[in-house]
Amino acid sequence: MGYGYWDDNTYKAGKTFRAARGVDDFGYTDSLRARPRDTWKADPTLDPFRVDKRECRDSDGHPDSLPIAVLFDVTGSMGAVPRIMQDKLGKLHGLLQRKGYADDPQILFGGIGDADSDRVPLQVGQFESGNAMDEQLRTIFLEGNGGGQKSESYELAAYFMARHTSTDAWDKRGRKGYLFIIGDELNKPRLSARHIRSVIGDKVRLDVSVPSIYRELEKRWNVYFVLPDQSSYYNDPEIADHWTKLLGERFVKLDDPAAVCELIALTVGIGEDRIDLRDGLADLRDIGSVAEAATVGKALALVGEHAPATVAGLPRDLGTGTDDVDFR
Amino acid sequence: MNAFGSRDIVVVDLGFGDAGKGATVDWLCSPQAGLDVAAVVRFNGGAQAAHNVVNGERHHTFSQFGAGTLSGVPTFLSKFMLVEPIALATEARALEAIGVHNPFDLLTIDGRALLTTPIHVAANRAREDARGGNRHGSCGKGIGETAAYALEHVDAPTVGDCLRPDVLRRKLVEMTRYYGRLITESRHGFPSINDMTEMYGEFAAAVNIVGPGALQAIGAGGRLIFEGAQGVLLDEWRGFHPHTTWSTVEPSNARAMIGQMGRESYVLGVTRTYMTRHGAGPFPMEDGALGLALPESHNGVGEYQGSFRVGHLDEMLLRYAIEVSDGVDGVALTHLDALGLAAAANTPIHGVERYEEWASIPVGKWKDLDHQQVLTDTLRTVEVAAKQVPSEPEEFVDYLSGALGVPVVLTADGPDRADRRLRTTVPA
Repeated sequence: MGYGYWDDNTYKAGKTFRAARGVDDFGYTDSLRARPRDTWKADPTLDPFRVDKRECRDSDGHPDSLPIAVLFDVTGSMGAVPRIMQDKLGKLHGLLQRKGYADDPQILFGGIGDADSDRVPLQVGQFESGNAMDEQLRTIFLEGNGGGQKSESYELAAYFMARHTSTDAWDKRGRKGYLFIIGDELNKPRLSARHIRSVIGDKVRLDVSVPSIYRELEKRWNVYFVLPDQSSYYNDPEIADHWTKLLGERFVKLDDPAAVCELIALTVGIGEDRIDLRDGLADLRDIGSVAEAATVGKALALVGEHAPATVAGLPRDLGTGTDDVDFR
Repeated sequence: MNAFGSRDIVVVDLGFGDAGKGATVDWLCSPQAGLDVAAVVRFNGGAQAAHNVVNGERHHTFSQFGAGTLSGVPTFLSKFMLVEPIALATEARALEAIGVHNPFDLLTIDGRALLTTPIHVAANRAREDARGGNRHGSCGKGIGETAAYALEHVDAPTVGDCLRPDVLRRKLVEMTRYYGRLITESRHGFPSINDMTEMYGEFAAAVNIVGPGALQAIGAGGRLIFEGAQGVLLDEWRGFHPHTTWSTVEPSNARAMIGQMGRESYVLGVTRTYMTRHGAGPFPMEDGALGLALPESHNGVGEYQGSFRVGHLDEMLLRYAIEVSDGVDGVALTHLDALGLAAAANTPIHGVERYEEWASIPVGKWKDLDHQQVLTDTLRTVEVAAKQVPSEPEEFVDYLSGALGVPVVLTADGPDRADRRLRTTVPA
């Protein structure tokens, strides 16, 4: 079996010891919030500025790496979702690994804010297979602002994932990774060159259209937008319309945000053709996620019928040039 | 007036474990007992201990926390302990679930205590798997591996190292090099060095880790109860080799700690009205029929530990345990209710008239494992002449006092704290 794998007991022990001395799981957020707003910044391990690539690589212990990226909207009411995720990381791993949904999952976490109004509009960690992912999740700064204009900088995150990731799953096996964006608003009207320059550091001079960056992203990633029932936008037709146009059936509504871990696990299991929806829901009930099974069953009713095509055939052109992007 | 005077009490199991040390310690620490206990001190073993305590609705299987915790009595894990922080966290969560608020506030640990890590656990399991049918009866919790590694490596990781991440990291890396293929070629594994170091850092920040001299300060607050783990018949040097634990179970270490403080000890030996043991090893009075008659609520079958075995009373083994313990001052006798249950099931509890081979089990020189192996081989085939013993509790108590030459000072006829009685009239 080797070492360096995710260990639920170690993760739970760390959590217990932190709680015992009254340290919040999201200690980075607490420490930053106590300081003046103009000093807020992403932890260096999560700062996307001038990052070349976030890599998901095979290793001796993990020869069949499967990239899974989870980017949270960390504004306003959505701040509760990362906490739920942190609580349930063990369950996610139990499903992915012990139930065999993915052999060598590597998980990256990140946070999405509003590049117009936030100090820390984008955070992106590393792909991790061990308990370091827990640490990364806890280091995400939950800024919690949001502009109130019903849009967040999801498109900036999409740009980063499209241009600044590199995975062996794709390079060696032509397999797409899974990207979950968890949020409740619209993309900004355009992917702004100014935001790319200031947040990511790429020398881009022209704005990019939102649909084109998602098209580019979807070449290497199965992209899901998960809308948890956490805000007034849950039943807003404009949100549903916007995301369905971009992602089709991979716009998923989740009526209980507490089920987000289970949703991710089952989506990957179904996508990897390891289970069908019915098996997955049975597994959830097995591990005690009974209420979550009902929620996930509803959310995946459409997706679960037919797994997304994960094998695109080995790409002829491994480059991610700019030809696919519509400049305006 | 009680039998203990003002002495510190050492609680040891005179059998193979599971006699009722936990419940005894819980009672000694309870307000009912009125013994003014300042702390419970663990002086041997590690995370493999399983001391069941029942107090009304509350039940907890104590492993590393002292069995006085439900009465709010603090625990000191001495330098003789093997400390496993991950299991400690699990135990703390279980204690919180039954209403103990922040159990770590009750815990102090000697920094010199050895640290049991997931690397030890993986190595332990890999080895035990490789033994196949010849398992030693290990719990699979890395205890023996922790002791063995420390014998060969002066810089084995300790609890104190958790305060020094760089030192700990170096030691963990050294361990992974040492075990190498044993683990990588097994079905077992362990988390990354980074993950472990980080978690041990959290552990060190959450608990009170102290240096030498701490016990004296703790003892200044009142009486100390030394809670032994396992049973004297499993002692690393006095038990029946190789079916032993890598730990000094007999009370010499506890006596030494008390003596160093200039205080006096009272050694309380604990036994059931019959014998039990887990896993492999000799067990002359074993009787499956008796096992069926006596329900065992808290002892199941562990993958690495093997099945729970039941046998009749064995005065020969108990006298041997007392002798290698350099005598005990009193006996706590548990499971008096089993006498009636066994009789009702037509399998009354018997005792030993004599072993055909020995008048008494010969005590060898300390650390003479060849001698211990001879004992083991003989006990496997020993011819036992059994005899009736009283099935009425009061008579049984008197019988056992006489047979062991030690007064029975505490009895229990059930698992609950309320089932325990201090005996004021002590038979000679």
